[in-house]
Amino acid sequence: MEAHKYVWEGAIPLQIHLHESQVTTLPPPPPALILAPRIGYLPLLAPLIKPYFSSTLPPGVDTIWFEYKGLPLKWYIPTGVLFDLLCPEPERPWNITVHFRGYPGNVLIPCEGEDSVKWSFINSLKEAAYIINGNCKNVMNMSQSDQLELWSSVMSDFELYLWFLEGNLEAYQRVSSKLKIATVEDEYTSFYASKSQQGIGETDLAGQVKTGRVAVRLYVWSVSEDFDDLEDMPQPDSWEKISYINRPVEIQKEGKCFTLHDALKVLLPENFPDESLNVKLAAVDFENTLKIPSEDVSSDKVGEEQEQNAYKQVGASCVSGSAEIKLIRIQGIEPKLEIPFSWVVNNLMNPDYFLHICVCVKVPK
Amino acid sequence: MMNDIMESVESQEEIARETIKHALKALKKRHLVEEGAHAPAYIALSRPIISQGSEWKEKAEKLEVELQQCYKAQSRLSEQLVVEVAESRALKGSLQEKETAIAEMEKELNETRDECSRLEVDLGEKITALKLMMSEHQELKSQLEQLTIKAKNAEAENKMLVDRWMLQKMQDAERLNERLKASGLEKLAREQVEGIVRRSEEGAEFFAESTVPSVCWHRINAHEGGCASILKVAELERELNETRDECSRLKMDLEEKITALELMMSEHQELKSQLEQLTIKAKNAEAENKMLVDRWMLQKMQDAERLNERLKASGLEKLAREQVEGIVRRSEEGAEFFAESTVPSVCWHRINAHEASSSNNLFVWDVNSGRVRHTLTGHTDKVCAVDVSKVSSRHVVSAAYDRTIKVWDLQKGYCTNMIIFHSNFQSLCFSTNGLTIYSGHVDGNLRLWDIQTGKLLSEVAAHSLAITSISLSRNGNVVLTSGRDNLHNLFDKRSLEVCGTFRATGNRMASNWSRSCISPDDNYIAAGSADGSIYIWSIIKADIVSTLKEHTAPVLCCTWSGLGKPLASADKNGIVCTWT
Repeated sequence: MEAHKYVWEGAIPLQIHLHESQVTTLPPPPPALILAPRIGYLPLLAPLIKPYFSSTLPPGVDTIWFEYKGLPLKWYIPTGVLFDLLCPEPERPWNITVHFRGYPGNVLIPCEGEDSVKWSFINSLKEAAYIINGNCKNVMNMSQSDQLELWSSVMSDFELYLWFLEGNLEAYQRVSSKLKIATVEDEYTSFYASKSQQGIGETDLAGQVKTGRVAVRLYVWSVSEDFDDLEDMPQPDSWEKISYINRPVEIQKEGKCFTLHDALKVLLPENFPDESLNVKLAAVDFENTLKIPSEDVSSDKVGEEQEQNAYKQVGASCVSGSAEIKLIRIQGIEPKLEIPFSWVVNNLMNPDYFLHICVCVKVPK
Repeated sequence: MMNDIMESVESQEEIARETIKHALKALKKRHLVEEGAHAPAYIALSRPIISQGSEWKEKAEKLEVELQQCYKAQSRLSEQLVVEVAESRALKGSLQEKETAIAEMEKELNETRDECSRLEVDLGEKITALKLMMSEHQELKSQLEQLTIKAKNAEAENKMLVDRWMLQKMQDAERLNERLKASGLEKLAREQVEGIVRRSEEGAEFFAESTVPSVCWHRINAHEGGCASILKVAELERELNETRDECSRLKMDLEEKITALELMMSEHQELKSQLEQLTIKAKNAEAENKMLVDRWMLQKMQDAERLNERLKASGLEKLAREQVEGIVRRSEEGAEFFAESTVPSVCWHRINAHEASSSNNLFVWDVNSGRVRHTLTGHTDKVCAVDVSKVSSRHVVSAAYDRTIKVWDLQKGYCTNMIIFHSNFQSLCFSTNGLTIYSGHVDGNLRLWDIQTGKLLSEVAAHSLAITSISLSRNGNVVLTSGRDNLHNLFDKRSLEVCGTFRATGNRMASNWSRSCISPDDNYIAAGSADGSIYIWSIIKADIVSTLKEHTAPVLCCTWSGLGKPLASADKNGIVCTWT
């Protein structure tokens, strides 16, 4: 799957600076340039970072943690998600600061290296399995070697700068297919299968149980100001501004395609007080010169026809006083709202079977 | 309506596909912007770190290996050190010992030195004493020389004086002669003078011989009785000298005898000691001998028991009765024909036993072909007696001078039983039922043995000297034993009592194995004698019936043919006679 490949291989260029409080040599060490995989986690980069700074660290025990512009980064959130969330306008390379002392225990839960990350990952996997299958027996019953293989396939390219990822992706897919976590039926994925990857992906999808439930992690940050461009979007400076929603989505097959938009309506109903209105308005606003607003709520056909000439941009503005979704980012891209949700789920989910969605919502003051 | 639905479905799909395409494009763009753009640079930048890391790793590994080697070397060195320390301790200990030894030796040395000095002093004293003695000796020697010179001088004086006296006497004699010439007393005077001269001549001899000057001197002054006294003195002196000579001779003799005696005494002593040693040796040898004999006997008994046990367990044998029996029968009849050697026995076994006596084996010959059928080995000494069972011709017993009887099975070809006894066997005979053996011994006893158990059934003293042969009567009731005491006894088989004794004045046993035998009709006994004749007794009459003289050499054995006649006899020269 091309999409799978992109998702798996995605990496963020980081420029990691050592916090000045921990610099003991002159001249201060240069920042470490590291490519962090999107589907990975920041603490796993510690072995790569330490060699850069080990000579300059003050004596003592090291507990690594990262922060971006003063905001300590939660380590159990995949790196890509963090990047999408905290950098509305993607900053490449992403300048984050690393600390080895002074772990902020009030903000971050403790992390003891790779094991903590691994258990967190497995936990998410269990959660996802529970949501999707109704029980997490399959994850609990995973053999030790399978667990290790799964983890290593996920993690292996975190450590090595070797992009022989087809193998790792295969390994991951091999092990994860054993879990028989049901997938969403998706007729679109096969359309765009690349020749190199069709074998596994198709059989996987073909042989698996189909479900309607999807595990979703939603990261919503709210802004109060209005902005036009992404660059002007204010960055979140505190976790309180970011709400973390863990909500499953049930895909309903009602003849029409269940789109991302529908999923968001399920997830954040408060943002869609009047669904049809929203859609209509959006369509109207955008294509006001082209379309005639229709009063008929049920004429979905028309709405959809209108949606055919869908906007290229994501942003949907609303003239009403309700919150509006400004930005939706999944795996660093901003897909169109009409995109079939099933495709999104099957192609853009993380190795822990969760779909991480970052949403920027403007709330009225 | 349907068209609308269809259209809407189609348009849905189109929308979906469009959006998906868009998403994929976005992903691609992201890839190009993010990792696509930055990866190469980052990889290039991180290589030094990685390579450094690997370098460090290599260095660390190398250092670890070196460290291990150092540890190993250290352990080796510490082991060596331990060894060296132990060695040095040992050396110290030995050094100490040596020092103490040196101190002791020094003390000894001082003591010996003192002794040495003492001995030197003694020696000095002794030397001075010796010197004194030597000087005394010298003085005595010189004295002796002086005395001898004096003696010589005295002799010379004596001689001179004698000559003077002689002259005087001659002059006196001449005067006398002149005076007496006329008177005719010349004769008398001449006689006197001659007598004097003779006597004086005699005396002169004695004077010449004397060595003691003082006695002579006195004697010359006393004229009248001078000759006699001189003579006496001379005689005494002569005697004294003689005795002295004798004395010295005797002394020498005595000394010789003493030395001889000493020599003899020492020889005597040596001989005595040698004799003691030899007696001791003899005693030891005797004791050893006894012990060995006992041990050997014991061993043999044990072996016999073991053999007996083992052989009893073996299965039944097949019978080739006819063949062996035939041989036996034929051999009985034609037994005399085998006795063509100097062997005393006529039994076919015996011949061969003796032929093979050097190897202590028994040979079983096939009468028809004349070849050896079996070779029975096992005896460790000369085989002296053999017999074949009358019941089953495959059982053979042999007795040897190794004090054993062996029962052989010709079918199997090996010894099936063994009996040991301390008194050596001289002859053997199977009983008629083939279950017991009669054996005659060197101690003169007749003994019965059970073949199967090897146990002694009974014994009876048959002769005062060794038994030379046993033979059974045809009916099997009577056993004839002959002994070196020149008696032939008949024993009743069941009661083992003597039922008849036969002797003859000229009848002497020719050898240790002389064989006598009973006639098949159980009426007569025939025995050979050393003088070459064969005596035949009648059992009923208990008296000699006839004497057969033909042989010139001692008759060693005789046997009756199974048919009643002829009687065959063999002598030492190898001649066999048959009598009808």
